[in-house]
Amino acid sequence: MRAQLRAELLKQRSTTTSVGLLAGMLGLVLFAVLLHGLGLPAENVGGSSEQLMVFGRGEFLGALFAALVGALSITSEFRHGTIRPTLLVTPRRGRVVAAKVWVSAFIGAGFGLAASALAAGVGTAALWVRGIDIQLDGGDYALLLAGGPAAAALWAAIGVGLGAVLRNQVPTLVGTCAWLLFVEGLLVGDIADVAEVGRFAPGALGEAISGQDPGTLLAPGVAAVLLALYAAAGAIAGSLAITRRDVA
Amino acid sequence: MSATGPTAARSVNDGAGPLLVDADAGSRDPAIKVSSLTKRYGEVLAVDEVTFSLDVGTVTGFLGPNGAGKTTTLRVLLGLAEPTSGEALVFGRRYGELADPASRVGAVLESNDFHPGRSGRDHLRALALAAEIPSSRVDEVLALVEIEPAADRRVKTYSLGMRQRLGLAAALLGGPELLVLDEPANGLDPSGVHWLRSFLRGFAEQGGTVLVSSHLLAEVAQTVDQILVIDRGRLVASGRLDELTARGRTLEDVYLELTGGTS
Repeated sequence: MRAQLRAELLKQRSTTTSVGLLAGMLGLVLFAVLLHGLGLPAENVGGSSEQLMVFGRGEFLGALFAALVGALSITSEFRHGTIRPTLLVTPRRGRVVAAKVWVSAFIGAGFGLAASALAAGVGTAALWVRGIDIQLDGGDYALLLAGGPAAAALWAAIGVGLGAVLRNQVPTLVGTCAWLLFVEGLLVGDIADVAEVGRFAPGALGEAISGQDPGTLLAPGVAAVLLALYAAAGAIAGSLAITRRDVA
Repeated sequence: MSATGPTAARSVNDGAGPLLVDADAGSRDPAIKVSSLTKRYGEVLAVDEVTFSLDVGTVTGFLGPNGAGKTTTLRVLLGLAEPTSGEALVFGRRYGELADPASRVGAVLESNDFHPGRSGRDHLRALALAAEIPSSRVDEVLALVEIEPAADRRVKTYSLGMRQRLGLAAALLGGPELLVLDEPANGLDPSGVHWLRSFLRGFAEQGGTVLVSSHLLAEVAQTVDQILVIDRGRLVASGRLDELTARGRTLEDVYLELTGGTS
C-alpha cells in the first residue's frame, strides 16, 4: 500500500493539474472575499455570522477544488488510458483506489488550509481597512482554519468515489460543480422545511464544520462525523465500482 | 479452478500476498494457458470458447481482423476484464493472483496510455514506485528503448513511435519473462519496425516468451515462430508458422483463406 501511495503522490506532482487548480482556487477566494469584504454594505458585514459567511468562502472553495482534485485523480486515468498500466502493475484495484483517496485527501487538506487561511486573512484585512470591527474571536478563526482543511480532505475522498463510479471526466466534474454550486444552495436556501433536511447534505456539512450559520446548520463536530461517513461511503462505492467492472 | 466467478476470483485476489508465492510455478506451467475462454458483452459474443496454450520461450503472433476478439482476449488474460466463462492463466495463475506481476508479465495494450502533460520519465517512475522497482531501472529501460534524450519532455511532444517505445519501456520495467503486445508496430516507421523486430528477437533469444498481436503479416512472418488466428471470436488456426506456410504459401494466403478475406 505504501508503494501505491508513493506512486499516487508522484502522479499528482508530475503534472501541472494540481498547481493549476490551486492557482484557480486562490484567485477565486481572493475575488469572492474581496468582493464581499469591500463591496457589501457595512451593516451587512457587521455581525459575527455575516463575517463568518464572508470568510467561509475559503472553506467552500477549498472543498470544491479538493473534490475536483480527487475526481481528476481517477477520471484522468480513464481519460488518458493510464488506468491500464496502473492496474497492470497493481492488479489489486482496491489498493489503487485507497491510495488515491488518501493522497487526494492529503492534497485536498492543503487546498482547504490555503483557501481558508487566505480567506480569513484577506477578509480580516478588507474589513479592517473599512474600519469595521471584527466580531470573530480566536475560537472562530481556529474553527475556520481547522474546519476548512477537514472539509476539503473529506470532499476530496467523495470526489475520488464519484470519479471512480462515473469514470467519465466531464460528467464527474460538471456533476460535482453543479451539486456544490447550485443544488446545495437550493437545499439550504430560503425554504425552512427543505433546510431541515438540506443541512445533512455534504456541502452544508462542510460549511458547518468551519462553524458557519449555526442557526441553520449542524454543530461542527457532528457535521465532521457525518461528512466523514459520506467520504467513507464514497470511497467504498468507488472501490467496488472499480473492482467489479471491466476496464476497456 | 474452473469457471471461477468474479466474486470468487476477487476473494483470492485480496488474500495475503506471500501465501500466493510458489517458486516452482513458472517452471512447470505454460506461459499462457487459455481454456474455453468466452467473453460476452451484452448481445455481442466477443470471444467464443477460445483455447490455446503457449510454452515458455515461444514467440507467437496473434492474428485476426479488427473486432475478431484479439484485444478482448488479451484484456481478460491481463486481468482487466473478467471472463464470462472459461479462464485465462499466465504462468498457471490468473493475472491478479501473481505475487509480483510486473516481474513476470510486461504488457502494452494501447499505444497512447500516457498523461500528455507528464514526462516519459515520470510516467515510468510512477509505475516503478507502485511495483517497488528501484528507480535506477527507469534509466535502464529508457536507454534500452533508446528514448533517453526525450525522457524529461512531456509525452504530448512525443511522436507515435516514441510513445510505442515508452509503452514498451513500461512493460520492461520489472524485467518480465513474458511480453504481451497489442499492435506494437502500429505507427512505427521502417527503422522503428526494424528496431522492434530485433528487440523481440533478442528478448526471445534470452528465453523470454512473446505474444504479439498484429495486422502486419509480413512483419509477423519475420518475427514469430508460431501463430494463432482468431476470427469472429473463434480460434480458427494455430500452429507453427513454417508448417502453416508450407508448400510455398505465404502467411497472407493462409490468413485470407482462414478469415474469409475480410481483413
